[in-house]
Amino acid sequence: MSSFIQILIGGLLQGGVFAAVALGFSLVYRVTGVINLSQGAFCVLGAMAMYYFEVAFHWPTALAAVLSVLSVAAFGVAVGAATFVPAVARLPVSSTLVLTAGLLTFFEGVALIVWGNQPYALPPFSGQAPVAVGPLRIPTQGLWLAGGIAAMIAALWLLVNRTALGRALQACADNAMAARLMGIDTRRMMLLSFTLAAAIGATSGLLVAPITSLQFDSGGFFTTSGFIAVAIGGMGSFAGSIVGGLVLGIAEQFAAYYVSSLFANTLALLLLMFMLLWRPQGLFASGPVRRLDVRADSLVHRALVRLSGRRALAVGVTLLIVLVAIPQLPLPNDVLSSLTISLILFIAVLGLDVLMGWTGQVSLGQAGFMAVGGYAAAILSTTYEWPPLAGVLAAMAISVVCALALSMVTGRLRGHYLALATLTFGLLIDSLTVGLVDLTGGPSGLVGIPSFAVGAFEFDTTERMFYLALGLSAVLVLLLEGGMRSQFGRALQAVRSDQLAAAALGVNVGWIKVSALCISAALASLAGSLYAFNFHFLSPEMVATPRSFEMIAMLVLGGEGTLLGGLFGALVLTLLPTLVQSLALYKTATTGALLVATFLFMPEGLFGRFAIWLSRLGGAGRTRSSGAAIETTAQ
Amino acid sequence: MLEVRKLSAGYGNDIVLRDVDLTVAPGEIVALIGANGAGKSTLVKCLSGLLPPRGGTITLDGERIDGLSARACVLRGVCLVPEGRQTFGGLTIDANLRLGAYVHSQLDEASVQNLIDESCRPFPALLPRRDEPCANLSGGQQQMLAVARGLMSKPKALMLDEPSLGLAPALVSEIFRLIADLRGRGLAILLSEQNARQSLAISDRAYVIENGRIVACGTSKDILASSDVAEKYLGVGHKIGDPKSAKQTIMTARLRKIMGVP
Amino acid sequence: MTPALDIRNVSRRFGGLLAVDDVSFSVAQGGLSALIGPNGAGKTTLFNCVTNLFPPTAGSVRFFGQPLARLDGHRIAELGLVRTFQTARVFPGMTVLENALCGAQMHVRTSPLAQMFRTPGARSEERRLRDKAEALLDLIGLTPFSDAAATDLPMGAQKNLEVVRALMSRPRMLLLDEPAAGLNDSETADLAALLTAIRDVGITIMVVEHNMSLVMGIADQVIVLDAGKCVAIGAPAAIQSDPKVINAYVGSDG
Repeated sequence: MSSFIQILIGGLLQGGVFAAVALGFSLVYRVTGVINLSQGAFCVLGAMAMYYFEVAFHWPTALAAVLSVLSVAAFGVAVGAATFVPAVARLPVSSTLVLTAGLLTFFEGVALIVWGNQPYALPPFSGQAPVAVGPLRIPTQGLWLAGGIAAMIAALWLLVNRTALGRALQACADNAMAARLMGIDTRRMMLLSFTLAAAIGATSGLLVAPITSLQFDSGGFFTTSGFIAVAIGGMGSFAGSIVGGLVLGIAEQFAAYYVSSLFANTLALLLLMFMLLWRPQGLFASGPVRRLDVRADSLVHRALVRLSGRRALAVGVTLLIVLVAIPQLPLPNDVLSSLTISLILFIAVLGLDVLMGWTGQVSLGQAGFMAVGGYAAAILSTTYEWPPLAGVLAAMAISVVCALALSMVTGRLRGHYLALATLTFGLLIDSLTVGLVDLTGGPSGLVGIPSFAVGAFEFDTTERMFYLALGLSAVLVLLLEGGMRSQFGRALQAVRSDQLAAAALGVNVGWIKVSALCISAALASLAGSLYAFNFHFLSPEMVATPRSFEMIAMLVLGGEGTLLGGLFGALVLTLLPTLVQSLALYKTATTGALLVATFLFMPEGLFGRFAIWLSRLGGAGRTRSSGAAIETTAQ
Repeated sequence: MLEVRKLSAGYGNDIVLRDVDLTVAPGEIVALIGANGAGKSTLVKCLSGLLPPRGGTITLDGERIDGLSARACVLRGVCLVPEGRQTFGGLTIDANLRLGAYVHSQLDEASVQNLIDESCRPFPALLPRRDEPCANLSGGQQQMLAVARGLMSKPKALMLDEPSLGLAPALVSEIFRLIADLRGRGLAILLSEQNARQSLAISDRAYVIENGRIVACGTSKDILASSDVAEKYLGVGHKIGDPKSAKQTIMTARLRKIMGVP
Repeated sequence: MTPALDIRNVSRRFGGLLAVDDVSFSVAQGGLSALIGPNGAGKTTLFNCVTNLFPPTAGSVRFFGQPLARLDGHRIAELGLVRTFQTARVFPGMTVLENALCGAQMHVRTSPLAQMFRTPGARSEERRLRDKAEALLDLIGLTPFSDAAATDLPMGAQKNLEVVRALMSRPRMLLLDEPAAGLNDSETADLAALLTAIRDVGITIMVVEHNMSLVMGIADQVIVLDAGKCVAIGAPAAIQSDPKVINAYVGSDG
């Protein structure tokens, strides 16, 4: 019985932190309509600031805590004003969501540069000795945590419900246009919500750091848990966030004790999947129902990126010739192997482009399908000694089945929930690759994977793998280019830009989304298999969720909806750290920063920019001039 | 005095307003009438700072307000009661009213109470329900709340965009009567409406807007007498489209061929 | 003959508001009906009820005798009932020609795989659709802009493009929501010719429209809504002199 209560208390403490992160989500979501995936990183930043003020500078705990929260809040103001608020004002909601994933990566990268990759623990605020209540032993920090979070929730409640400022925040959430007419500066309110959420994150981070040691990438964990909590409780509902956080914390603690600590996360994610299926609006639905006949996303305008068939062919052939010639050049071996990795990742990014760039469905779980493909092919060819080719094909089939199963969940979801379901899928696969030790080798990975082979021909050298990846990418680009330039591609784009108008023309929107997801999953699976055969080794973190974010960065950097763009994104983010070794430490931060900057300053991406430039060249700027002609006829 | 000179405005490639001139003096109700899509809403959006104009000037008591933010416009005393009411459905009536005075953050609680009483005087039905969520109100009551909320900002110029929108005919008359009662407050009131007859009946002067241009202005009595509203709105005597024209025959023949219809 | 569209006792409630209140009427095959009424009268909501975007809370809708209850948006389009939207909803990020081609989506016979492999069947289908789209764009004078971004067109041209896109889907009936909004007189005359031609090739049309000159010029039946209720149905000439309609539009004297 006492162990039961002990676990319950542990769950409540854990849940308190999740609830605080979930509150941050809800606050920002209500005011801006965007889920800020960087929320969890503020916990780490708060703990990190605390570490410097308290441990390194030896300042008093209370002063250090206040300064930490203030400095993270100040950082939040700067980042929010420079990136988040302009993005909410300018970009489609889906892009803003992905941008916050970029912010999360950026913050993790910053923490890596400052903190290194060692876990850090803070000293408890008041001594190590736990307080004994009857048979129970409660760490004093637990009391600090519970008290701190309760105080924070109370303060937030007072702010929102009892002050003019809080009323203004609520007004922005309720009806932004009317709020502007009342003289409320809506952008300032967005920034305020972002900053408050940063302060909430920092506070909970420095409260929890003495109990759980944190490291640079713990932000992802907090974001995930807080997000599961908010999805269970109800997006945008304050009460729901708190209940969701506590439910999740308790469920995880009990699962860890009674089932297995390896599967605690899996069970939480299954709980979430179930919630998304059963009651996607969460336990506490909030906010007004949006009208369906108004375009859900008012900021869908994007640049028209079109290369004429001949120019596209010229670009493709040039690129192919250069790439074919590369292994013949006297290059260091690691450059060739990193080119091979770029090409393999490019295959997965191609799939992502079909799904995200062409169909407009944000996927935060592409690495999950890579993992399915990689592990399935590797296990089939090692344990069951299947020929690698058969393993790859079977893995693709398994991935497509997973995609179909996932689409049964996502089929009923729209917008944010869809992106979040894919994130959940990716995390679920992450936790399974770690948890199913007998099958996957667990955290230490799967070894002894053979080289890829077709019949007796083995791709056992870097050069052969390079040509294999190149050949496959070229064929895939050619096929997809054909598909995207015909009715299928147009149907995808119609769904991307306006589902309602597409359905009104008889486009079966559900079917189109499922097809795009299956194509995307199959290509990710293929890439995952090649990845495993290339390294002869596969471990969970090689194909974990941060990889999904990295591939999104590659796609966005290269240019969504351009097919070839992903190659440039993959090259930049894979080859540069290889060429300049000193950059490796900065890779995570750079990936995040590039993703954010591309969205804000060059939404069409590197290749998109190049294509626009090329199509204006010679063709006397066809789009531009016809635009001008339209202006004159309109006069 | 609200003055608009040579105002033009639009969205993207479309110019919606061209060279609009308009004035509203304190204490008068001016009607802006025109069909749907004529540019009424665009004009009030420019006046309230929601849409920056492309050209021309807007002044309030001699001070330029064009290009200012919505907040700056409210602070200077220009307030828009938007089309479709746009009340804060999830908040209480009291919170809605207080948000109306958001720019006057220096007011103490007693002054806010006075202001609420003052703003709700024309709409006594609202006060006893102050703590109910605004979504409980009927369409007509929400319109009244929207007007009261507008008055909370202590405006010099009040713009009402389509206050009769979507209301049952009996309620429409009620709303117009209440608007007429606001005249005594010394406000400059601009009433943008497609319900021409009733808005002309309660206004002092009127402007008729068509395709983004002011095509007539004068006292409401003159406008009502001079133009046959039935003709203007119901297209009596003016038809577009002639089934027997040569152009039509060619068009039909071409379409028949394209669609493969014999 | 079965009416093309038969609306019986349709109501739609949003919370406390009855946006459409017990409306009944039918549109004959090959007819051109106009749905008019002041702003906020419930015209667009009625369109949304017919296409199940907001299914009616009471009443039934039949299309050529077939009940539409519980059908998805794309199933309704497959039956041949195709609508446009009040604010033109051309697909951004696509050219004018591509937008028109999107309309033909439900008649595509070749599989995505065949299109990827560019089989002869897929290529000839593509060519055929392209020719038809180009001919339709030529009909409304948009040929010079076929490679421009659709969202770069002025609003009037975008609305025309929406009509062309709908025609590409070979509908039996078109529901057009304010096709003439934002058009000047000469553009409206062109639109009148286009709509009449569409009716003459056998496609039934119902428009929501505010431009009375257009309605009076081309419609053979006018339905008047006011505050969610159907207040009059009849030929254009009869509607113009109906005092209930004048009241709905310009307000009663009281």
